[in-house]
Amino acid sequence: MMATQTIKKKWWTNYAIWFILPSLVFYTAFVIAPTLSSVYLSLTSWDGISPDIRFIGLDNFREIMNSKRVHNAFYNTMIFATVLVLLENVVALGLAMLVDQVRWFRNLFRSIFYFPVLMSGIVMGFIWVIILNYNFGVINQLLDMMGLSSKKVDWLGDPDTALISIILATVWKSSGFFMIIYLAGLQGIPKEMVEAAEIDGASRWQQFRHITFPLLAGAFTVCVMLSMISSLKIFDQIAVMTDGGPGFETETLTYIIYKVAFGELRQGFGTALGIVLFLITLVISFIQIKLLRRREVEM
Amino acid sequence: MAKKSVFVLLILVLAFTALLSACGNNNNAPAAETKTETPTKVEPVVEEKQDVEFSMGYATGDPATKQAIEETINAFTAANPHVTIKNISETSSASYLDWLKTKDAVGEFPDLVELRDTKVFVDAGKVAELPADLHSLFTFLPKLDGKVYNAPISGNPPQGIMYSKKAYADAGITELPKTYDEFLAIQQKLLDSGISPLVVGGKDIWHMGFWINYFLINEVYSQDPDWNSKRTAQTASFTDPAMVQAITDYKELFSKYVDKGWLSTADNQTASILVTGKAAQLFSGPWMIGQIQEADPNFEFGFYAIPNRAGKTIVNGMPGLSGWALSAEAARDADKVDAMKAFITFFFEPAQYSKYLATVNAIPTTAAQVTYETGEQMQEVLRLVQDTTIEKRMAINNWYGDNAIPPQFRNWFYKLLQELVLRDGDVTDYMKQSDVEYDNNVKANQQ
Repeated sequence: MMATQTIKKKWWTNYAIWFILPSLVFYTAFVIAPTLSSVYLSLTSWDGISPDIRFIGLDNFREIMNSKRVHNAFYNTMIFATVLVLLENVVALGLAMLVDQVRWFRNLFRSIFYFPVLMSGIVMGFIWVIILNYNFGVINQLLDMMGLSSKKVDWLGDPDTALISIILATVWKSSGFFMIIYLAGLQGIPKEMVEAAEIDGASRWQQFRHITFPLLAGAFTVCVMLSMISSLKIFDQIAVMTDGGPGFETETLTYIIYKVAFGELRQGFGTALGIVLFLITLVISFIQIKLLRRREVEM
Repeated sequence: MAKKSVFVLLILVLAFTALLSACGNNNNAPAAETKTETPTKVEPVVEEKQDVEFSMGYATGDPATKQAIEETINAFTAANPHVTIKNISETSSASYLDWLKTKDAVGEFPDLVELRDTKVFVDAGKVAELPADLHSLFTFLPKLDGKVYNAPISGNPPQGIMYSKKAYADAGITELPKTYDEFLAIQQKLLDSGISPLVVGGKDIWHMGFWINYFLINEVYSQDPDWNSKRTAQTASFTDPAMVQAITDYKELFSKYVDKGWLSTADNQTASILVTGKAAQLFSGPWMIGQIQEADPNFEFGFYAIPNRAGKTIVNGMPGLSGWALSAEAARDADKVDAMKAFITFFFEPAQYSKYLATVNAIPTTAAQVTYETGEQMQEVLRLVQDTTIEKRMAINNWYGDNAIPPQFRNWFYKLLQELVLRDGDVTDYMKQSDVEYDNNVKANQQ
C-alpha cells in the first residue's frame, strides 16, 4: 500500500515538473537572467551600444553616493512617494464616499472620476502641458482675462511649481482607480453597523473614524501599496511635462535612470541606479507591509 | 507682408568649395575632401527591381524638415515602387540622440539614418562608410579618422535674430545693431516699449544650444577653435576668463530679456509667440523662416546675425559631421545598399533637392547646381554663408576629431545653464561643476 502511494506521489511530482518547466524557463530567461546580468552591468562602464564592457568595480555606486544630481532625484522620489500617496488616497477615499452616498447619477459620477485612469500617462501629460502652458495655457489665459497678468505663473518652468504641478496632474489621473477599490470596500460594510451607530448617537465623523475607516483597512493597505509603488516608478508624466526640468529640478530616480542610460550613454551607471531603486523599493515595501498588516490585525 | 522676391540661387561650385575648404581648417580632423569637377552621374543601382524594404530615421523636431523628407520619400517610392521605406522617425521632446539610442537599444536602429552624433555610432560599430560612388555628389565631405560616413543633408546654417519689424518700429529702433552692446540696448528699448524682447523654446533642450553657442562661438571658439581638445586634455578649463565671460553674458541676457515662460515653451511654439506679438524676436536658424511665414503669412520680419562686442560677426557655419548614413547591419545586405544608394541619389538630384531646400530654407551641399526660391531673410542667411570675411565656427557638440566633446556632456551642460539662470547661481561655481562633469564623462568614455 505504502509502495503504491510512493509511486503515485513520484509520478505526480514528475508530472508537475513538466507543467512548471515552461513557465520556469520563460521566467528565468526574461526575469531572473536579466536581473542577474543587471547586477553585473552595474559594475561596468558599458555605454549601452559599444561591444566593449569594462569592469570598474563599485565606481558607479561611489558616484551615486557623491552625485548632487542623484541626491536631488532621490529627494524628489521621496517627495512623490509621500505627497502623492497621501493626496491620491485622501482624494480617492473622499470621492469614493461621495459616490457611495450620492442618490442620482451614481454611475455617471463613477465614470467621470474613473475616466482619467483610462488615459495613458503620455496623453495625460500632454493635456496638462497644454493647460499649464505659460503663453497659451487655460489657467494663465484666465488670469489674463481677469486682469491678473502679473500673477501668471510658468507652472512647469518654475522649480517652485513644476513638481507640485506634476503631483496634482498625477492625482487627477490616478485617484479614480483607487476610488474604485475604496468604493468596493465601502459597499462591503454592513449597513446594520452604521445604523446601530446612528441610533447610538454617533456623529458622521465618529462613524467614519470608528466604523468606516477600520473596515476599509484591507482596501487601504492595497491602495497605499499600489500608490507607493506607482509613485516610485513615476516616469511618463515627467517625461512629457518637464523632461526632468527645469534644469534637473524634477528628475526622479526612474527618470534619471533613463536619462543617464540612454541619453548620456552610461548604461552601467544607469543600471547601478536601477539596483539602488530596487533596494529602496524593497525596503519601503517591506516596512509598509509590516506596518499595514499589523494595523489590519489590530483593527 | 514680407517682401518675397524671387531670388534665383545659383550655387557656384568653385566659390562654395573655396568657402567650405576655408572653414574646415580649424578642426583637428583629417583634411576635408573637396570636389570641384563635374559630378559623376550615379545611375540608380536597382536594376532587377526586386522588392526591397529598408527602415529610415531622421530628426523630426522641425516640422518643415519632417514634411520635406516625407515628400521626398513619397516621390522616391512612387518612382521606385519595388522599394518600401519604413519610416520609423518619431517626434518627441527628447533629444535626437536619446531617441536614436533608444531605438538602438530595442534593436530598431534605422537602416538609413540621419546622424548628428556620428562618432558615437561609428565608435560603436553601428555605421558603415558612405559608398564611394556617392562621394562625387557633394562639394565637401567631412571625414572621421580619414573615413566618410555621412551624406550631408544640408550645410551647417548660421543662426540669427528673427525680429518683428513692427515691434522694432514701435520701440523706435531704426538701425540694426553693429555691436553686441548695441544689441543689448535694443533689448532694453523693446522691454521699455512693453513687449517681451526674446522668445526662447527652452523646453526642448537642443533649442538652448542656439543661444549658448552664440556666446561660446563669439567668446571662446573665435579665439581658440581647439578649445574643446584642450579641455579634454585638461589644459583649458570652464573657469577660463573667456568661458566665464560667455556664460556671464548668457546669464545676463536670459535674466533680463527672455520671455518669462521660456522653460516651458517648446521650440515649435516660438513661431506662434513671435507672430502673435507676445515677443519681439527669436534667435534661431533659417529653418524657422518657413514656420514663421506659415504661422502668419502677413507677419513682417527680418533676419540678422548678432555681432560681438568688437563689432565682428562670427556665425555657426562650419561643415559638421552629420547627414545620411548607412547602418553597418543594413550595409551587409546588397539589395538594401542598392536601394539606399538609390534613395540618396534621388534625394540630392537637383530637381528633388531644390524642393527640400526651399521647404526647409537650407543650404545646399551638392556639387550639382541647385536653383530654388528664397525670401529676403534667407538671402541674408546665404550672404552670411558666402561672405568669406565672416568667420565660421561650430556648436560645442558639433566639433569632431580631437575637438569632439563627450557626447553625453551637451545636454547636461545646457540643463546646468538653465539651472544657473533659475537659481541665479554663481557663474564660476557652475563652471567648476562643468569641469568636474566633463572630466567624469571623458573618464567614463575611456573606461
